[in-house]
Amino acid sequence: MNAIMPNVMAMKGEFIQATWETIYMTLMSAIVSAVLGLLVGVLLVVTQPGGILEDKLTYSVVDKLVNLLRSIPFIILLAVISPLTKFLVGTTVGTTASLVPLIFGIFPFYARQVQNALLDVDHGVIEAAESMGSSPMAIIFRIYLREGLADIIRVSIVTIISLIGLTTMAGAIGSGGLGDVAINIGYARFENDITFMAMIIILILVFAVQLIGDWIVRRVEHN
Amino acid sequence: MTETAANAIELKNTSVHFDNGDQQIDAVKNVDLTVPRGDIYGIIGYSGAGKSTLVRVINLLQKPTAGTVIVNNQKIQQLKPVELRQARKKVSMIFQHFNLMKSRTVQGNVEYPLLGTKISKADRHAKAEKLLKLVGLSEYAGTYPGQLSGGQKQRVAIARALASDPEILISDEATSALDPKTTKSILELLKQLNRDLNLTIVLITHEMQVIKSICHNVAVMDAGEIIERGSVAKVFTEPQQKLTNDFVETSTNVKEAIERITSTIKISEFKADQELMYFNFIGNSTKQSVVSELSQKYGVDVNILFANIDQIDGENVGYMIAIITGDLAGFNGAVQQMKTEGVKTRILTDETLKGGDGQ
Repeated sequence: MNAIMPNVMAMKGEFIQATWETIYMTLMSAIVSAVLGLLVGVLLVVTQPGGILEDKLTYSVVDKLVNLLRSIPFIILLAVISPLTKFLVGTTVGTTASLVPLIFGIFPFYARQVQNALLDVDHGVIEAAESMGSSPMAIIFRIYLREGLADIIRVSIVTIISLIGLTTMAGAIGSGGLGDVAINIGYARFENDITFMAMIIILILVFAVQLIGDWIVRRVEHN
Repeated sequence: MTETAANAIELKNTSVHFDNGDQQIDAVKNVDLTVPRGDIYGIIGYSGAGKSTLVRVINLLQKPTAGTVIVNNQKIQQLKPVELRQARKKVSMIFQHFNLMKSRTVQGNVEYPLLGTKISKADRHAKAEKLLKLVGLSEYAGTYPGQLSGGQKQRVAIARALASDPEILISDEATSALDPKTTKSILELLKQLNRDLNLTIVLITHEMQVIKSICHNVAVMDAGEIIERGSVAKVFTEPQQKLTNDFVETSTNVKEAIERITSTIKISEFKADQELMYFNFIGNSTKQSVVSELSQKYGVDVNILFANIDQIDGENVGYMIAIITGDLAGFNGAVQQMKTEGVKTRILTDETLKGGDGQ
């Protein structure tokens, strides 16, 4: 091992810490984005024309806002959002500071995915629930989120995997994590084994997310 | 207020108008509809006639553009959202595609209407079990709908519809996706519920067979309007509109039989003393031996080509196509005799020849 990856072996501790940082950034931004994304996704579905709480104004404003946020390339968002990051976290560098751009980078994407997942819920079932006297809140929690659960988990897996990708980009502005190690150490010092090792760990994380996600989908789906 | 009105549903001058930009559609036009409590009321029409829109007005899933809707003594258009949801629990609905929740078990689906009510979890379970037993699906409580057949799914949907102790059940083409045998068993179940629970049932369909098997009253819809209505027996035996007649003749096979007979035998080759006749009789007249009486009394020969007896709303209705051979006096006497016994007659020979004039 020392012969193939001399530089990696020399900084084992840094690798372990970087892996934790990546997991930390992914998890924290995933949790906040999940809440925001679900809220916005549900809002889009219920206020859309023909929805259970149809509201043309809310729908068009939220819809356009989501499109706008999704149009900004992440690498530019990282820079543009830094005043807000400074205001919220007090600094623009470091792992915690990177959560702000990560959340803004991913939740609009997740909201759109959630919206699509919920649109797949059979309209007939929604109508049946309305005919049984269900309130809009009951329809959201007992029908939309429950009937759409398997699809929501599927889009969550896709989103978490994208999010892991974004954390590595955040590494470019000094967030720490595996992206930081790969670029600022491996790439900058021409220590290719470090870049390679960072990639391997990221691949393992991605596969783990995919496997766990698929397992959960199998548990909740009853087609 | 506890006094129950004789009518479960009253729609007065109800219209539904859709405005999709440059497309204006009058789905329902000035419909008056009264459904007596405990009735099984059928609404028949081809697809696009406005049946589904009309029944959705009853629980306000569809807001009417004009008119008054009174359900269970309440003017439902005046209810606040919370009151409307309460009222909807008394008007259950079953659908062509069942609309079960695939993420819940059969038991979970039946319990759904009771979620968020004051009923305890144990009572909810017990009630769902009781209802599943009623529809004959006790052993499927833990199964997911995805594993059930169409007929079983509709039984679950019926159990779910009954969970909120409704007074009215709306069936929106509930048997249209089912095979004839399953359709029959579902209709039997609905009939049983109507009898045992005094459940008022409004049923929409495009099959007269369904109306014939369980309805007491029927309304025929075409292009958003009710063009004919009345007791099923009356509409069946004396259809006033062409569309109604089409539905009736299709369901009794008479239409098919007339077509078959007139295409296989040459009416132009009939002798002068022969006529092709169509007879239609209701109730008691079927109990007398009309045919043998005719030949004995009036000396006519009756050669039966087609005969069918139906049970419509508990009454026997017979249809017969026959060639009558005999002299004019005997023939007229025979026809007169039939008329006095309440048998309706139609001479098909004339119709067919007239129809052939243009050729």
